[in-house]
Amino acid sequence: MIQFLAPILVLAEEAVVEESSGIDLLLPESSELIAGIIAFSIIFFFVWKWVIPAADKTLAARQEAITGQLTQAETTKQEAASLLDDYKKQLAQAKSEANTIVENAREAGDALRTDMVGKAEADAESIRVKARSDAAAERDRAATQIKDEVAALSLELAQKVVAGTVDESAQQALVDRYIDDVGNLEA
Amino acid sequence: MDVLILASESCDPATEIICAPENVIELFEFTEPLFSIGPFDFTRTVVLTFLAMFIVLALLFMGFRKTRVVPTKFGVAMESVVSFVRDDVAKGTIGPDGSKYSPYLLSIFMFILVANLFELTPGINFPLTSRMAIPLMLAVVTWLIFVIVGFAKNGLHYVLDIAWPKSVPLALRWLVGLIELVSVFVLRPITLAVRLFANLVAGHLMLTLLLGSGWIFFAAVGDIGVRSVIGLPWFAFGLLIFVFEFVVAVLQAYIFTLLSAVYIQTSVHPEH
Repeated sequence: MIQFLAPILVLAEEAVVEESSGIDLLLPESSELIAGIIAFSIIFFFVWKWVIPAADKTLAARQEAITGQLTQAETTKQEAASLLDDYKKQLAQAKSEANTIVENAREAGDALRTDMVGKAEADAESIRVKARSDAAAERDRAATQIKDEVAALSLELAQKVVAGTVDESAQQALVDRYIDDVGNLEA
Repeated sequence: MDVLILASESCDPATEIICAPENVIELFEFTEPLFSIGPFDFTRTVVLTFLAMFIVLALLFMGFRKTRVVPTKFGVAMESVVSFVRDDVAKGTIGPDGSKYSPYLLSIFMFILVANLFELTPGINFPLTSRMAIPLMLAVVTWLIFVIVGFAKNGLHYVLDIAWPKSVPLALRWLVGLIELVSVFVLRPITLAVRLFANLVAGHLMLTLLLGSGWIFFAAVGDIGVRSVIGLPWFAFGLLIFVFEFVVAVLQAYIFTLLSAVYIQTSVHPEH
């Protein structure tokens, strides 16, 4: 341990020995002072005139670049948002148009169906009316015909009764013929 | 390596437990000029001062030579240093006015940081800030700035408010005023310089003695045999101190810069 302390003791002794001449260490050498002043002046001038402006320029350029990029990013973002809005509007418009088209088509279909049903009903009614009319006309015509036939038969019967030519079999034949005529009319 | 040679010149591993130079000042003084231009001698310290300047200029130039929207890793590191000094230290301490002082604060931070890290740089291993000239010069510049700013912003009230603090009870006002006057105008630059200087001197001394001794004991294994194992704890401890000194180097650069900002802030807003 004493060996490790020895250098400290040696240094202490040195310090005592050198105390008288140690002041030389504290006094600046004139040549070193002049060199120091020149060297430091050059450094200061260089820093003052070139380094600080260059650093400012670099930082300003970087700030400008970053600001530009941020602005560009913001513009792009706004453009993207605007495009998205446009697309959304277009999509909504397309949906609306599609709905309108479907609605119109439905309305047109309904109208067409209503129209066709109405027309069909009208046709049917017309056909029904005509059929009823035809049937009535036919019935009238048949009735008229029967009336004429009955009148003719009655007349023929009356003539034969008056002439006395009607026997039982001829009378029966007339009656049968009359029934057949009526039967044919009804068919 | 010069340091190791200096430390080992008077060292005898066979008898001594640690190798220290006769005069520790030898570890910090390089008086022999490497070359001269006119009357000006370029000693090792002077050359290292200019080397530190070139490194700072090169780092900043490489970091900001191009305006990059997406920076490189090195660019990010340099921008972090600049924004740290400007936003956290200058504006954070002084307020919105702080940005105008950021060139000065960034200059001292970078210069001190590189000068401190020379302590740990292989081949250099000498912190420039362990020479009093650099810390004292920077402390005096800081002192000049905060005094001039104080007078410019507040006129004579700057010194009057310090000498006669109205928030202190009347009986103590003259004493506190005197202490404040000495503290602000005399002690601030001295403590600022000595704090940086002393930390780096101590770190350099420890690293030199520990790593130097470890190395010398290992190198002398042929002469002293098993005794060279003494170098092992010195070397291991030296490596730990090496890591510690990295933290100290960065921290002291930060503290000097922060205190400079605080002193300027007290002149810009003396009411605080």
